[in-house]
Amino acid sequence: MARQLAVFASLNQVALLKRALYREGVYVEMVRTPRCYSSTGCSFALRCQTAELPLLDRICRQWKIEPGGIFEEPEKSETPPDLPFIEDE
Amino acid sequence: MIYLDNAATSWPKPPGVVRAVSAALIRCAGNPGRTSHRAAMDGAALIQECRERLAQLFGIANPLRVCFAFNATDALNLAIKGMLSPGDHAICSSMEHNSVWRPLTALAERGVEFSVAEAPPSGIVDVASVERLLRPNTRLIVMIHASNVNGAIQPVAAIGQLARARGIALLVDAAQSAGAIPIDVEAMKIDLLAFPGHKGLLGPQGTGGLYVSERVNPRPLKEGGTGSESNSPLQPSYYPDRLESGTLNLPGIAGLNESVRYLMKKGLAQIARSEAALIERLLTGLASLDRVTIYGPPPGLPRASVVSFNIRSMDPVWVATELERVASIACRPGWHCAALAHRTQGTQETGTVRFSPGPFTRMAEIETALGAVAELARKA
Repeated sequence: MARQLAVFASLNQVALLKRALYREGVYVEMVRTPRCYSSTGCSFALRCQTAELPLLDRICRQWKIEPGGIFEEPEKSETPPDLPFIEDE
Repeated sequence: MIYLDNAATSWPKPPGVVRAVSAALIRCAGNPGRTSHRAAMDGAALIQECRERLAQLFGIANPLRVCFAFNATDALNLAIKGMLSPGDHAICSSMEHNSVWRPLTALAERGVEFSVAEAPPSGIVDVASVERLLRPNTRLIVMIHASNVNGAIQPVAAIGQLARARGIALLVDAAQSAGAIPIDVEAMKIDLLAFPGHKGLLGPQGTGGLYVSERVNPRPLKEGGTGSESNSPLQPSYYPDRLESGTLNLPGIAGLNESVRYLMKKGLAQIARSEAALIERLLTGLASLDRVTIYGPPPGLPRASVVSFNIRSMDPVWVATELERVASIACRPGWHCAALAHRTQGTQETGTVRFSPGPFTRMAEIETALGAVAELARKA
């Protein structure tokens, strides 16, 4: 299944979005943006499935956060997945 | 030790805070926002969790408007120096801490004017006295929420109404109220809230924050690495990055995260009730002693967990030293970095002895303290 990288300027934005998605039952990876997708240098991205993009879009609008871009990632990626670090509410 | 100096820094910290700090030092290696390895990402998630807890505590809609600082003084400087430019006018109360008075005084040398709304000796500012000082170029009202000298609580919500109606930003110094008195930034119309992590929020020293509403946009006090848009020479315009350059105190924030979790689980109302009972006993006990003068709001008015007093003709420093020597009481004498407040209550020559119980202070400790003060007062 195609994966998408939604790129954002700030890790803080990415961290908020990741938690917001998790509360909606969707787990996404938080990764450093590969250089080829980042024009400004040093940014972070959420790696998610294509089907999760509408939810991500809704949450971005809710928090008034604009992605810097959304890119389809090749099938194979060497970036290891991270694991959630979220305490039980 | 009977610790009655929570207004300086709270002690002890809730169970789990030390563990949280240690865990962060062990697990969250690296620098959040600078890299993407697991340890750094864990740290980033922890920081966000703390932001969200603080947002919930203060009624802040967007956690990204919570900018971490290193203490309340840091946050106040960020706000005051970020909001004011030459030609602007600001208003503060006569109960402010030096962390408001000194930045305003420094800015006054660079073309910013400020006026002081005088409070009566009890320490509570009248809203009308603030309104009388308004000018066309008034850009900021700075108000201490609760006095660190005598516990007086300012009518922040009413001042917020006034400020909002006039399009003026309100900065609240919540150094003594965060974690002790309920704060809702929307209901109280607060545009900027400066708070320490290490007092009422029960976290480690080296933590604090500044809430910045979407109605204001202070200039950054410092520019630097934010982990975002590194190829740009410009400081990011979005929050919190705009006001958070450099490495955050991640272990401290881990501890703060745990302490805020503890506070919210225990409930501010319960803590407030407990502290109110301690303060009431302190006030009635001190009031019954000859040669002891208590300062601050009259009985019956709400007060933060702070009591200032003097024993007639005794140097407060000597009193505090004796209290520690004879009864292991830790308290703070002097002027409490708040010369304006001491001038307001008429103790600018002597200073005072300050007792400030906390959530873990027991009534038996208050009784011991009262006994020790009574013993000293007999010698006066």
